[in-house]
Amino acid sequence: MPSLSSRMRKLHQTLLSIRLGPGALILPKEVKRIHMRFPARMEGGHMGPRKFWRSELVRLKYHNPAVAMTVDRSGMTPDDESTMSIHFAPADAIQTSSSATSGPSPTESTTTTSQTSDHTPADRVETIGMKFRSNSDILQDLMRITNAYPVEATPEDQEQLAALEEQKVRGDRDRVVSSAHKARVKREQQLLEQAKGGLGA
Amino acid sequence: MAFSSRYCPSCLLSLPTRIITPFAFRANLASPFLQQARTAAQSSNANKSRSKKDSSKGSTKTTKKKRKTRSHFLQPDLRRVTQFSLVDAMRYLRAAEVGRPPNSAKYDLHIRLRTAKNGAVVRNRLLLPHPVHTDLRIAVICPSDSAHARAAKAAGAHLVGEEEIFDAVKAGRIEFERCICQQDSLAKLGKSGVARILGPRGLMPSAKLGTVVKDVGSAVRGLAGGSEYRERMGVVRMAIGQLGFTPEEMQSNIRVFIEGLKKDIGVLSDRISKDIHEVVLSSTHGPGLSLNGELRGPASPPTKDLSTM
Repeated sequence: MPSLSSRMRKLHQTLLSIRLGPGALILPKEVKRIHMRFPARMEGGHMGPRKFWRSELVRLKYHNPAVAMTVDRSGMTPDDESTMSIHFAPADAIQTSSSATSGPSPTESTTTTSQTSDHTPADRVETIGMKFRSNSDILQDLMRITNAYPVEATPEDQEQLAALEEQKVRGDRDRVVSSAHKARVKREQQLLEQAKGGLGA
Repeated sequence: MAFSSRYCPSCLLSLPTRIITPFAFRANLASPFLQQARTAAQSSNANKSRSKKDSSKGSTKTTKKKRKTRSHFLQPDLRRVTQFSLVDAMRYLRAAEVGRPPNSAKYDLHIRLRTAKNGAVVRNRLLLPHPVHTDLRIAVICPSDSAHARAAKAAGAHLVGEEEIFDAVKAGRIEFERCICQQDSLAKLGKSGVARILGPRGLMPSAKLGTVVKDVGSAVRGLAGGSEYRERMGVVRMAIGQLGFTPEEMQSNIRVFIEGLKKDIGVLSDRISKDIHEVVLSSTHGPGLSLNGELRGPASPPTKDLSTM
């Protein structure tokens, strides 16, 4: 069982990385859904989409919980095009982020739908080709198309970040000291053993 | 080794000291070491006796120092734990699970108990208001042409029978996750010798676990949507919800689970004291977040948003 301080430190690191970083954007209200489709294996230029899913999409989802974000990696070959489709609702439709009426949640599994299912009345769908693109490129495109604006770190977040950074610096310093200590003890033990061995022989 | 004279104690002091270490620490290390080296220099016999003495001294020291065994599991001090409301925790977990197939990722609940390391453990099965496992295959052992068999089939049992199930199990085909036995078939089950195969897998019906029953139909119904839990190392873990659940559904599931757990703790013998210490919500790929018992915090998003995939 880890100690409480290390458990909390690790948790806060994880949560900060979910809250802040590239992809921490607030999407405008007409964005209804983001659907990514790319192969499960990354050869053939599909590394960027996967990285985008694992890092940027997580932060996007945290700041826009009402926007449906789905990933479909089934039944694709490396030669296929990997795409991201962004579904926009008509301006007069129900707004996603208004609290009383959020977008209807899809009930079907994301993996079984090979087509991007149209459960929301999408006014228009923009598509980004993701093949041979890096995750930061994809994010740039997404920001350009949706006019999303980034989330600023709150003072508490900055405080936490600073504390973690300070802890890291302290840890690096202590690591040097303790490794020197360990090397010293080990060397003394070696010398002692050699002295004993020399007598026995 | 970079030292010329083996028995010269002075060389032992000329250890690499590239990094400045506190003075006390250095002195501490050097003194017993020096003494050892000097005795070594006197004679081999002296060294022998000294080393024996030293070692015996050392052993008594270690036995004295031996830590008292702890009878209870360690409890983290919850004042130092960051706790979250259910909606906030679910928001983080939904973000961590983004794009995962909703039928493979689940919410898990971990309940840490204040309990002794030995003694009885809590284990039971309960029916959640919103079932998590919906694809459970159940085998029912009872005569295949009886009323029980018809009731079991109607309740959704996957396999029903006596000899045919025994034969299948012996042939290595265990195509079920739960096994129930009708009381009258218990003798046949005992004789069949499948206990050797089912026992290690935890599938062997026994009255203690409540898997030997009279009314097979209702047992299957209870099992199909039910989930099992047991305490391991002072913690009870159970899958508590599917990824698409709303916070309200999760809340009712958690409430039923905790109430059931408290009831189970209550029926244990009086000498055993168990208490719920900490409740942690996690998911298949997400972090574990300690819950503070509230549904929403001041800055939580609307609950409806969180069931969006």
